[in-house]
Amino acid sequence: MNKNGGTEGVTAVVAGQHGRRQFLVLPRWFTSDHPLPWLAPLFALIAAFGLYPLGYALWLTLNQRNPYTREMEWSGLDQWARALGDERMWNALMVTSIYTVVCLLVQVVLGFVIALLLDSERPGYGVLRALMTLPLVVPPAVTGLMFLLMEDAQFGVLAYYLDVVGLADPSQPILGNIYTALPGVMLADIWQWTPFMVLIILAGLRALPKEPYEAAAIDGASYLQSLWYLTLPMLGRVVAVAVLIRTIDLFRIYDYIYTMTTGGPGTATETLSFYAGREFTTANFNYASTLSLITLILLNVVCFLFIRVSRVKF
Amino acid sequence: MVAVLRGLRLRDLFAVLVVLVFMFPLFWWVLASFKPYTAIFSRIPNYFDFAATLDNYRVALLGASRINLEQGVGGQTGGASSYYSIPSILDSIIIAIGSTVLAVLFATLAAYALSRFPIRAKKHVVFFILAQRMMPPIAVAIPLFFIFRDIGLRDTHIGIIIAHTLINLPLATLLLKSFFDDVPRDLDESAMIDGASRFTVFWRIVLPLVRGGIAATAVLCFIFSWTEFLISLQLTTSIRTIPVKITTFVTSTGTEWGLITALGSAALVPSFIFILLVQRHLVRGLTLGSLKD
Repeated sequence: MNKNGGTEGVTAVVAGQHGRRQFLVLPRWFTSDHPLPWLAPLFALIAAFGLYPLGYALWLTLNQRNPYTREMEWSGLDQWARALGDERMWNALMVTSIYTVVCLLVQVVLGFVIALLLDSERPGYGVLRALMTLPLVVPPAVTGLMFLLMEDAQFGVLAYYLDVVGLADPSQPILGNIYTALPGVMLADIWQWTPFMVLIILAGLRALPKEPYEAAAIDGASYLQSLWYLTLPMLGRVVAVAVLIRTIDLFRIYDYIYTMTTGGPGTATETLSFYAGREFTTANFNYASTLSLITLILLNVVCFLFIRVSRVKF
Repeated sequence: MVAVLRGLRLRDLFAVLVVLVFMFPLFWWVLASFKPYTAIFSRIPNYFDFAATLDNYRVALLGASRINLEQGVGGQTGGASSYYSIPSILDSIIIAIGSTVLAVLFATLAAYALSRFPIRAKKHVVFFILAQRMMPPIAVAIPLFFIFRDIGLRDTHIGIIIAHTLINLPLATLLLKSFFDDVPRDLDESAMIDGASRFTVFWRIVLPLVRGGIAATAVLCFIFSWTEFLISLQLTTSIRTIPVKITTFVTSTGTEWGLITALGSAALVPSFIFILLVQRHLVRGLTLGSLKD
């Protein structure tokens, strides 16, 4: 910091000698030597369209819309009390939690196995790795439709093969049964985002030091032993960052639900985000806002705890 | 050929098999877009036993009437059909390019400052920017609906561009900061001793060195905006981006799978090209620049 300040002082003197700043004397915080002008556009946008809407959302939760006059009326914490006593909200929270945890587990395990499989310098593996990135850029709404097409009970290719091997019954559509609907939606998520884990873990594997493995090999460790005692602990931080980012996205899942089940059958696949969206489209703006803020608060708590426990650094 | 086969190991077979499994949904999707109406709905999976047709693309992209095509009249109706999707594609292009330009512009300035200036509590500033990313889209969409209504931005391109820019800013800023961090600080400082101003150093020296990083950031912002669904759905009625447009083909009288897959496949082309171009920077982008690849 001292060094930097010194350099800037020198610059000012040099610039002065050339007479560059003498036509127009600006306050220092208004010149490119001060961070403020660089950061101002970003923070102006965040303030206007990030923080102000957040305040607006909070204000919405403290009001109630009069159905006759269509005016907002102060209602205190009524919306929050309603949410806490709302069984449907608890169900949505349950669905969201199950969805997040199961998808995370499957994606981490699958991602790890596939990354180990694809981590090779042999010819052709580069192409395989490139192909694995393609699911990541499919619009999630399209992914939802993709799996809706494959899981259809009458003409779905996946449903057909599951029927052939006796795992599914064509009279029970995958997405129309309260027990299989959620796994059916998860399948789309797992297809789209396992490649994310694969990519991150591959990058982590590439960055591992070679020496510990050589030492372990000399000591006669087997492949599985060095995998368990060396690779897994050393990859911990990389996986933690990936898990954090996936948790954020999983917890606010919306697109797959909208395209595949619209929350049904009943409320079997209704997540918090989707419940909030449904209330919003039926003009219960205040309650929708409350539900979306509950999602935000829970997400922040989970992320905060996770960052504390795993010591992720950005 | 024989030499290649002889070199094959069990592991290679597994690797290919896994990638094939992951490619299957894409293959099935694109295949369906070339199928005639009846072939999509066969119970036994129909792989190649159909007369491939471009009719779905003609209806979705050229505005042909499907009835005419089926009866062999082949007349063009030029956008009369509600399945005609060129306006949606234009909406998506305007929004994706607009929000990418804005996000990259603002983020480049901020990232340079975060990389170069000794800012107090920098860690907190970075975390604050990152926290913007935790906002569930629905929590953004609800208040923005009212705010945009009041200032006349509802159902406009600019409104969606602003919302997408906002969501892209954390990614773009952190990603670009990590690219700026790669450029040695000594470079700036020696140029400044030679009498260049901060902005000249940024514009003439540092920016050309991170061109690759800026391109990668732009691609990731573009893809996000191109694929975003919830905000476009809730904040627009007449402007329909491609993902929203596609879901309108699921109607109460049936799902137009041929047209859905045709438009869906067409929408994948730019994303696939772009992502293959910036493969190298993908990991950084996906982890918001928190890991160096």
